[in-house]
Amino acid sequence: MALRNLTVAGPPPLAAVADHSARQEVSSAPAAPVVRIEGLVKRLRRGVIAVDGVDLEIHKGEVWGLAGPNGSGKTLTLKMLLGLVRPTAGKVFLFGEPVRPGARVLGRVGALVDGPGFVPHLSGLDNLRLAWRLTRRPADEAGLEPALDYAALGEALHRPYSTYSHGMRYRLGFAQALLGCPELLILDEPVTGLDPLHVRQLRAALAELVGRGTTVLISSHVLGDVQETCTHVAVMQQGRVVASGRVPDLVARFGAGKSLEEAYVALVAGPGAAGGAPGRSAR
Amino acid sequence: MIRVELAKQLTRPRTYLTFLALTAFALALTVALSATGPGRVERVGDIPLLLVPRTSMFTLPLVALSSTMKFFLPLAVSVFAGEALAGEAAWGSLRYALARGASRSRFLGSKAAVAALFSIAAVVLVPVTAAAAGLVAYGWHPLPVADGSASTPLRLALVTFDQGQALGRLGLATAYVAAGMSSIFAFALFLSAVSSRPLVAVAGGVGLTILSRVLNVDYLPGVAVLNGYMPNNDVDLWQHLFQQPVQSAGMLHFLVLQAVYSAAFLALAWWWFLRKDVLE
Repeated sequence: MALRNLTVAGPPPLAAVADHSARQEVSSAPAAPVVRIEGLVKRLRRGVIAVDGVDLEIHKGEVWGLAGPNGSGKTLTLKMLLGLVRPTAGKVFLFGEPVRPGARVLGRVGALVDGPGFVPHLSGLDNLRLAWRLTRRPADEAGLEPALDYAALGEALHRPYSTYSHGMRYRLGFAQALLGCPELLILDEPVTGLDPLHVRQLRAALAELVGRGTTVLISSHVLGDVQETCTHVAVMQQGRVVASGRVPDLVARFGAGKSLEEAYVALVAGPGAAGGAPGRSAR
Repeated sequence: MIRVELAKQLTRPRTYLTFLALTAFALALTVALSATGPGRVERVGDIPLLLVPRTSMFTLPLVALSSTMKFFLPLAVSVFAGEALAGEAAWGSLRYALARGASRSRFLGSKAAVAALFSIAAVVLVPVTAAAAGLVAYGWHPLPVADGSASTPLRLALVTFDQGQALGRLGLATAYVAAGMSSIFAFALFLSAVSSRPLVAVAGGVGLTILSRVLNVDYLPGVAVLNGYMPNNDVDLWQHLFQQPVQSAGMLHFLVLQAVYSAAFLALAWWWFLRKDVLE
């Protein structure tokens, strides 16, 4: 089979291919936000409202954390951002373009959502090559080599994916998200199952990407990571954004200046939080 | 996209196991029939056709088609179609295939095309393997067929097809059986679009076959009104091709029925998949 046909000749290094900060705006008009979510609602079967009126705006170069208890609607919100789930109401825009299934603008996004997912009988390398071929973009735009550098799977890259450990699968998933050097990176619990060394490598890779102007949206329960990595945070509960803004502002306003974890606990479990206080902003 | 899908399916052990099982069945049939008495008559189908296996290589593919078309082939077709989308969903790779902006219509089309190709290959494999085994076992001879429905105790309605005629009619019979699998294929593909569990879609395709066989006027006279509209009942009418003259009315009705069922289920699969929330 032609799996080997997709070779990446002389791939540019990560720093070169992912440098979105150097892009020049050709228009004097202000650039559209990278992400704009307006009144997003998702009603599931049996009438359960999983996402309930989410508004969010993310600008170029910002690093957003999405925090909230299990079932608060974080992953579903991310899936609506990617055109995988249709909103019941509301709108999602990426780079100013409306998102719908198959929208071209999704080609500017890399994602690791709800865990990695690959063809089990194929090797990690073949999985990445096939994933890129589905985009129908030229092979030399894949940025395969730098993505593989991050995955650091060594010889295991040629083994069937089904033989991978949990952590190896997540690293391959992150490598897939990096294919094509996306301008927006969406990561859902990216450190799940990673050992401390690879957590550190992930942080370093993220820092490098952010330094090159990549916009990042991370859903995570590891609030220490969010506080350390993110410039902004949105806290979700029961499908609503109960607070959002710059991390230091949220910490100062809801966490008594101590930590994001304190702010999170106050927002999610504190008095008055059960009913939700949608739209509290610390901007 | 079709190349990507081919790369996934051609490297998949399940694909080879399915083809291997069908080949093994055809070969086992050859061995079993070779072990019977030299003049033994095989009764094929409900019409029925009476064949003497050892007189011609062509008897084997007819027996093989007849014995696989009601379960093994529908099972193989259900596996290929039922796993097309639900398999990707179960792996978790469906969301990544679509999250990069791939057209859902094109994605579904490539999945359906490759699954259809493999389904046709499965149908063709059975008579081809049996014919090859028959050629080795019995040689290249004309095919004598006794039409059981036209014969009487005093007169045997015997027709002999020369090798060219037998080959041509075997090809038509194979194409007819392949077309007869299309409604099962389309139904399993529809279930594959709806469900994220491949087993549900595969079982659904097989279930439709079983339902079609159960709601048969031969077993339940009360359902006679449904008999002409069940998707798999008349898949055995290819046997008319080996009668003289050929009675094509029932075959044509069945082919039209297949086209209608296939179009309906494929349209449903497409409609559903375009609107599907990929929650897996």
